[in-house]
Amino acid sequence: MASNTKNLAEQRRSANMKTLLMRTEISMVLIIGVLFFAAAFGTKNFLTAYNLTNILKQSAIIGVIAVAETYIIITGGIDISCGAIVGMSTLMVASCQSSGIGIFPSMIVAMVVAIICGVFNAVLVHEFNVTAFVATLGTQTILRGLIKVISNGGTVSGLHKSFTSFASGSTLFVPNLAIIWLGIAVICFLILRYVVFGRNLFVLGSGKEVAKLNGISIRKTTYMAYAFAGLLYGIAGIMLAARINSAVPTAGEGYETNAIAASVLGGASLAGGSGSIMGTVLGTLLIILIDNVGTQFGIDTFIMQVITGCVIVIAIIVDQLKKRSSR
Amino acid sequence: MDDNVLLKIDGIVKTYPGVQALKGITTSINKGEVRALVGENGAGKSTLIKCIMGVETPTEGKIEINCDGKWESPKNAIEAKSFGMQANYQNVNIAKNLSVAENYFLGCLPRTKLGTVDWNQMYESSQKIIDKFQLTVDPRATIESLPIALQAMINISKISINEKVRLVIFDEPTALLENEKVVTLFNYIKELKANGVSVIYISHRLEEIMEICDTVTIMKDGAYVETKNVTEVNKDYLISKMVGRDVADIYNIKHQEPGEELLRVEKLCGNSFVDVSFNLRKGEILGFFGLVGSGRSEVMRAIFGVDKVKGGSVYLRGKKVSFKSPKDAMLSGFGFLTEDRRTDGLALSQSVELNVNIYSYDMISKASIINLNKERSRAEDYREKIGIKTPSIKQCVNNLSGGNQQKVVISKLLCRNPEILIFDEPTVGVDVGAKDEIFKIIENLIAQGKSVIIISSYLPEAMGMADRLVVMAEGHVAGILDSEQLKKVNEEDVLRIASAVYAENNPIVEAV
Repeated sequence: MASNTKNLAEQRRSANMKTLLMRTEISMVLIIGVLFFAAAFGTKNFLTAYNLTNILKQSAIIGVIAVAETYIIITGGIDISCGAIVGMSTLMVASCQSSGIGIFPSMIVAMVVAIICGVFNAVLVHEFNVTAFVATLGTQTILRGLIKVISNGGTVSGLHKSFTSFASGSTLFVPNLAIIWLGIAVICFLILRYVVFGRNLFVLGSGKEVAKLNGISIRKTTYMAYAFAGLLYGIAGIMLAARINSAVPTAGEGYETNAIAASVLGGASLAGGSGSIMGTVLGTLLIILIDNVGTQFGIDTFIMQVITGCVIVIAIIVDQLKKRSSR
Repeated sequence: MDDNVLLKIDGIVKTYPGVQALKGITTSINKGEVRALVGENGAGKSTLIKCIMGVETPTEGKIEINCDGKWESPKNAIEAKSFGMQANYQNVNIAKNLSVAENYFLGCLPRTKLGTVDWNQMYESSQKIIDKFQLTVDPRATIESLPIALQAMINISKISINEKVRLVIFDEPTALLENEKVVTLFNYIKELKANGVSVIYISHRLEEIMEICDTVTIMKDGAYVETKNVTEVNKDYLISKMVGRDVADIYNIKHQEPGEELLRVEKLCGNSFVDVSFNLRKGEILGFFGLVGSGRSEVMRAIFGVDKVKGGSVYLRGKKVSFKSPKDAMLSGFGFLTEDRRTDGLALSQSVELNVNIYSYDMISKASIINLNKERSRAEDYREKIGIKTPSIKQCVNNLSGGNQQKVVISKLLCRNPEILIFDEPTVGVDVGAKDEIFKIIENLIAQGKSVIIISSYLPEAMGMADRLVVMAEGHVAGILDSEQLKKVNEEDVLRIASAVYAENNPIVEAV
């Protein structure tokens, strides 16, 4: 018996060591660090206040979307309508403001519309049992069409000054947008860790039957997940409108790729049941950083896209290899 | 001499990070020999099988199979198959979305002259196998739509496709089977043996080993103990060697004097059962036995609010209740351990900690904010109390053995402190040692005045544990045996009731 306990203790120690080394977050911090120093010493424009603020600003919007995407991925779903919902929210907040509505009411409108879009996804996924991929693909297409109809294909401008200056401003050298991003990330992290809803997301991602038989409402959890994601997309849309000082019909296009990539880089599994906010935050930073560092080194933007794609694929392969070796 | 040997297992060692799963196993199996492999869960049986089949590469040692005088070592599963080795793994591993026929011919679909799939031939040949194994299933039916016992049987009958088979491995084949199908399986094993095919047979049911096997190899904690002829050993001997201690009679627990009626079910109708009535008293263990398809699990699912109730009523402490969802049942003091812990009992990819708490997060949270200290301490408490063997409560439950997974499920239920516990097949895929522990937990529960319903397709267990036994047949209650009657009847009597065709005017078989 004594040897048995000792054995278990040993196993526990080695398991802890292993999880520490294998933590996606740690390897990502290392990669980000290497990239950072390479660019800092290799180029002259990287380590400037302007560039660093820019990286954070770029990361902020994708970052908020990616955090929401991680929630959906944890439930075993995927949301490719996020870019379109962001676009819709951008349009809403811009149209409201250009027609004279105040900043706060316009933001409320944008968020409510985004939540409705999220609920629409949940209706398709839960009530009609449509695969999340197909459901959100449908929503994406509908929204992209609606955006063009509403905006008549044109740019909406005329946003309030104080609204846009908040987005370009900083507090204690940190861009306001990045503060919002990190605030949201912290809240989302706390929800996953401390709130029953957060646990339920993981259970749902492990299997619907498990959730059902353990008294977890699949309906409630699905609706809450998609509605909450909708809300965050709405906020991201408002941030985008403030940052570019207008709403263009293509706003948010392609954001879904980066959001999903950031989640997966951060350790979320598309099979559901796993994902971390820390990882997603770092994943977002990494994607933006790769792009920025590439530009600093003067690499062609088309080639940069190829490189970003390769990084994502490599991350997925490494993740699979880790899973295999840990079994 | 060597010619007669089919399989040589030579000093197999298998090490995983942190665990030595096999500590040097050496034995050999003759042609036409039926070899039992016994040991507790975690003894390394499944790992050994995987090494034999080339699924896992041994850290040390060699597996050799005699292919008509040539000794071969399979490097992977495909090679193993080409050497005539077939394995029937514990967790039914068939393609759920495909039809029965496609599963039979997976990897070797018959072709027409044009090279397209020959569906007619496939269905015909499949029907032959289905007939041979006396199954009632359409070869066109998808696996998913079939009950799990039938899926298991299809998985077994699939082996007969391979005509050049030399070695067949069965890992817990009867865990999900009803008795008559066990007979079919045993006949098939006898047929294999007669054709000179060797069989490795793993089962926790030692009676079966006595019946069908020639020799038995005992393993304990990854090590080889010994190999004996089954004629030389008995059940108690095997158990003492496997466990390293004597387990006198695992069903011999202390029963309680049942108190007042707690639950009454009247003429309940639902998905595949009709007019089911029974009651459950405080401190009582009510057994439920029936062949697969008799509707015993469905009754429980309906009471628990998983499936729809089509008629009849359920009374809890004399008050009529009807649960719309498992959550309602849960809040009213029911705990349900489901038949298939891997699909609906546990969140497999999640930690022990989460799974222990999964059923009762509302109890350790305020305004839905979870108290992390309580979450952790509950998991640690139950790990200690129930004896869940895991390196850490952060361990993913998928990595635990069957017995330990089941203990996690039980802990999860106990966290709510339920009044009525329904255990559907609590010991499937659980080794003798853990079985004993599970029964001890049940003994404890009734001593605390809880009531327990145990569903089992394993008759000695159902009869051994129950104060009263409800026998179901074809969706009806065929009989309820009280403790006096239970003492008088033997297994065959109960089986006869369970296989009775339901007659309208004879719903209850009186004392046998």
